[in-house]
Amino acid sequence: MLRFLLRRTGSLIVVLLVLSAVVFLLQQVSPGDPARAALGANASRAAVAAERHRLGLDDPLAVQFLRFLGHAVRGDFGTSYRTHRPVATDLASAFPATLELVLAAFVVALLLAALFAASSALSWPFAGIGRGVLLVVATAPPFLLALVGIVVFYARLDWLPGSGRGEGGPGSELAHLVLPATVLAIAPALAIGRILRAGLEATLAADHVRTARSKGLGQAAVLGRHVVRNAIGPSLAMSGLQLGFLFAGTVVVEQVFSWPGMGNYLASSIPTSDYPAIAAVTLVLGAVYVVVNTLADVLQTAADPRLA
Amino acid sequence: MSTVVLPRRAALATLPGRRRTGRRTAWTLVALLAALTLLAVVARLLAPDDPIQPVAAPQLPLGSPEHLLGTDAIGRDVLSRTLFGLQTSWFSALAVVAVGLLVGGAVGVAAGVGGGWVDALLMRVTDLFLALPSTLVAIALVAALGPGLRNTLLGMSIVWWPYYARLVRAEVRSVVARPHVEAARLAGVGRVRLVLRHVLPGVVPTAVVTASLDIGNVVLLLAGLSFLGLGQPAPAAELGADTAANTQLLLSAWWVPVVPGVAVLLLSLVANLAGDGIRTLLGTRR
Repeated sequence: MLRFLLRRTGSLIVVLLVLSAVVFLLQQVSPGDPARAALGANASRAAVAAERHRLGLDDPLAVQFLRFLGHAVRGDFGTSYRTHRPVATDLASAFPATLELVLAAFVVALLLAALFAASSALSWPFAGIGRGVLLVVATAPPFLLALVGIVVFYARLDWLPGSGRGEGGPGSELAHLVLPATVLAIAPALAIGRILRAGLEATLAADHVRTARSKGLGQAAVLGRHVVRNAIGPSLAMSGLQLGFLFAGTVVVEQVFSWPGMGNYLASSIPTSDYPAIAAVTLVLGAVYVVVNTLADVLQTAADPRLA
Repeated sequence: MSTVVLPRRAALATLPGRRRTGRRTAWTLVALLAALTLLAVVARLLAPDDPIQPVAAPQLPLGSPEHLLGTDAIGRDVLSRTLFGLQTSWFSALAVVAVGLLVGGAVGVAAGVGGGWVDALLMRVTDLFLALPSTLVAIALVAALGPGLRNTLLGMSIVWWPYYARLVRAEVRSVVARPHVEAARLAGVGRVRLVLRHVLPGVVPTAVVTASLDIGNVVLLLAGLSFLGLGQPAPAAELGADTAANTQLLLSAWWVPVVPGVAVLLLSLVANLAGDGIRTLLGTRR
């Protein structure tokens, strides 16, 4: 286990380095010039050259990359071309909103996945319709789901707010979460639900379950003690993977719902070619994704040491 | 680094727990895919109007006699724009999957057949790519290269091949271990011929099934990029961008942003169903 942990940490560090290298290189090829951006369009060529020298933009690439890494580790991502604030400040205010949305979506995804799997494995009557709807809806682009959600539940029915994060009490905040979290949760719910269903069906057909039934255990005891615990392993791994995907999925969903998180910040930075902001969000969300995946891997191995 | 193929959303369809369809249904689904491709081919001929020029009063409702799907904020025909966008989306997705399959397949075959340090090196690189969040990297890549169809396709292709490399490499390894390959090698079959005649035929079905199930995901991701403004620049008809540009009409003329989104849903739904059908017909394990 210790060897596995060390190996996993090692590869985590390598992947994070590669991620930063990719982001750094992309910043190099992007057309924006930080020196020009800092001085404005009317600055003389000499002034821009001096500024480039001051910022170290004429250093060798390797030196620049090390400096970039050093700044990134200390949370310094430069200044946004769009908001003219330090990117780190913008991110610090956006990150909690994204975290809240992702965690809410994760809970919704797990609930939907459990419903999907249980209704299929236990053949609940009429649940097939619900599963069919989920199957179709999961192939829809998230922006379409978001728009239809807004039209139906905000404009027509007026049950839920259609944009923003909501202020004034937990009730309003919760109501604002429902639509974006559900839209974000649909695809992961199906992914987890499929794995869970396969696990449930395999376990329900296993010998030890037949034994448990034939010694007279009730349905609840059979499911709780003998089925769920054995069936849930692979879906835990998939859940970890999907939690990582949720962070990446926030970009479109947050934009449609004007959710003040990192995804929305990235989406707003794209039209203005605000590359420091784009790079920082990619780096932070990408790092979260990589770390979450590693944690899921470690947890799965802790639960089943044969995997190490 | 773990050596399992990471199931990204693309691959979920190929995991256990997805039901098999009957052969007759499977053929119907493949026919549906063919019909959709045909629709994409002739989309420009079917479009009643110029997609770029305003042709009528703005925001005509659905079912208007001259304009079945209405008109957008400046009076362009929504049906024509959607047909043009559908063509771009469909062929872009096919192109990205094809490039991923070819590049990833080549890397996978090289690693699987080469073995030893070639295998180790190629798979290390592949694993590094696989560990990165492809959606985010694609967004950052296209943002850095600048928007435009060519850059979008380039960016997507760069993030999309590693998954195929892993898959093909695993398949090649399992085929190489079978007795018929051993027999062919003992019979003195050359390396190239061994790969082409004795290994590849065992790998192609799985790769094709996975690729066909993957098209829907690429359609969705490309639409997402387009929605974020990372597709073709403004007047061009593109499904994601058309939705994004018209979201402010949502409460007054909902069909203008919704119709292109529904077209994306249609593409990805048909691609997924047909992928299921192709899997049934080719009868692969995965």
